[in-house]
Amino acid sequence: MTGLEKPMQAHDTLPWADRWVRAAGAGRRLQYSVLAVLLAFGVAAFFIMLSGKNPILAYRVMARGAFGSVDAISFALNKSAPYILAGVGVALCFRARIINIGGEGQIAIGGICATWAALHCGAAPGPLPIVMSLAAGALGGALWSGIAALLRIWRGVNEVIATLMLNFVGLLMVGAVLNGPMGEVGAGFPQSPVVPDSAFLPIIWPGSDMHMGILLALFLCAVCAVLLWRTPFGFGLRLIGASQPAARYAGVSFARSMLLVMLLAGALAGSAGGVEVLGVQYRLIDGFSVGFGFKAVAVALLGRLDPLAVVPAGLFFGFVEAGALAMQREIGVPSSLVDVIQGLAMVFVLCSIGLDKRRKRV
Amino acid sequence: MSVTLNSAELGGLLASTVRVASPLLFAGLGGVLCESAGTFAVCIEGMMLMGAFAGAVVAYLTGSVAFGLAAAALGGACVGLLVAVCTGRFRTDHMVTGLAINILVLGLTSFLLRGLFGGRAPNIQMQTLAPWTVPLLSRIPVIGPALFQQPLLTYAAFLAVPPLQLLLKRTQLGLMLRSAGENPAAVFATGANPAAIRAWAVIAGGVFAGLGGAVLSLQELGTFTDGMTNGRGFIALAAVLIGRWLPVRTMLACLLFGATNAIGLNMQGWNLPVSSYVIQMMPYLIALGVLCCFGRSTRMPAALGAPVSTH
Repeated sequence: MTGLEKPMQAHDTLPWADRWVRAAGAGRRLQYSVLAVLLAFGVAAFFIMLSGKNPILAYRVMARGAFGSVDAISFALNKSAPYILAGVGVALCFRARIINIGGEGQIAIGGICATWAALHCGAAPGPLPIVMSLAAGALGGALWSGIAALLRIWRGVNEVIATLMLNFVGLLMVGAVLNGPMGEVGAGFPQSPVVPDSAFLPIIWPGSDMHMGILLALFLCAVCAVLLWRTPFGFGLRLIGASQPAARYAGVSFARSMLLVMLLAGALAGSAGGVEVLGVQYRLIDGFSVGFGFKAVAVALLGRLDPLAVVPAGLFFGFVEAGALAMQREIGVPSSLVDVIQGLAMVFVLCSIGLDKRRKRV
Repeated sequence: MSVTLNSAELGGLLASTVRVASPLLFAGLGGVLCESAGTFAVCIEGMMLMGAFAGAVVAYLTGSVAFGLAAAALGGACVGLLVAVCTGRFRTDHMVTGLAINILVLGLTSFLLRGLFGGRAPNIQMQTLAPWTVPLLSRIPVIGPALFQQPLLTYAAFLAVPPLQLLLKRTQLGLMLRSAGENPAAVFATGANPAAIRAWAVIAGGVFAGLGGAVLSLQELGTFTDGMTNGRGFIALAAVLIGRWLPVRTMLACLLFGATNAIGLNMQGWNLPVSSYVIQMMPYLIALGVLCCFGRSTRMPAALGAPVSTH
């Protein structure tokens, strides 16, 4: 009984105290992520040594390569934008313990739809081509994740398996449309024609390639944070994640929440595909998004499923990739070290979550 | 536009069906072991890739295929051990751990290949395993040349199916293994350790998947290239789902996927109005379709993906 009253009293009289407690909790969780990243760098240093290079030098080159020039920074930010967009959707799903690992497919379908829309409505006035293309991308992604959600709700198909299988269908779909209706005639490579430049994402730093995708990602992360912490929908998600029976007892419909959050995550991933097409490639290319969806899962975990913390996690991935390219160029350390660091960081974060859970139980 | 096949073409189709199916079958058997004991096998892709890498590198350095195969099995087992530690000791989510391990192995193999052999894109080219003709059987018309003039690992993959089926269905060990996937608490009550059974099952699964990778690198291509498994681990996973966690049915699913692939390869010649991409989608679509039809009655191991609880 006292256990119930105490936090309520604290909240009534000292709202800021509650907020501090929550912030401290988030900080404690994020410190595991930082630790996991440091550990990953440490283990990766061992592999750099194994390949006969100096890890300290390698990391110094990496840091300079990531932050050293406007070009590097805009490359990193452009890389981060789709990771953050898709990652925040994954984070919302995982909050409700809905393991949506279908980012790959949702991003691919989003890219297809965004390209199609851009090719067909480039003549629209003002920013309409951009808005319509991104919306088409979001719609495509939502359609793809919606299939998995409906299979779960109607047929009881495990959503993990459904999203996993749909990934490969989605990725192959890109090749199929490029070798069919959307391919550029006589290109010799599976790619679409360049989209009209009215649909290019605007550049936010004159003289560089930095496009507004990162701003869109930041904005949508903030929206998702509000959605998760300040709305009945978000509360329902957290409740389902904490205990499905409790959620049912409280009148939260699992099917409805699941469908909504999957559609939302799919739309976010689809817009990530659209951002990649309209901001970086300017055309649909076969295999343009391979690996993005799985990295989005890594980003969501690294951000400990907190929509706002997904931002630094996604930026981290983008900057590591920018730095690794410089590392390969300048001292010949293969850039595939990126995957090693990202994979290790993901493993360590997962293990720290496990440890955290175990400690709580004790 | 009618499709007619003479016996030579049919034989060719059969042969390539079996060939394409053999790496999938090894990986699928590994997946059956992992998943029967209760660990989701998203990590098969990584195990295969590590097996392909270790097999190719060791065979190239020592010049011995036997050492290569041993290394492939060991490589897969090491990935299995890593997965077992994460999911068992740290109770991480099986699916997401699998994804993480796959990314890690993709990077590690590519990185180590360059670290070991230098250069931007090292090329380690070897002789592929030669086909071995089975006496007598290979003289059966059509089927004989197709099925009994295959490289060694293909026979090994198919010969591994019956013993595994018997092991899982007819032995005490198999019962324990399946129980660890159905009801770990019951296993615990008998005095056995379900977590250890799961760990060994994942490691054994890694051995099989690693050999599946070796089929690709040593038998099919004679080299290692970055990410050469290219989603085959996931196709094997689909085969396990369709085979509903039993070796023989998984083998049939692998053969089905092998056949769709063989047909896809031959499609250009036939002028069918279907894109080869659509054919490549078939394994995933069939898996989804099967799951859809059986829905809740798929008889998935009940504790698949759930952490071991002993009460």
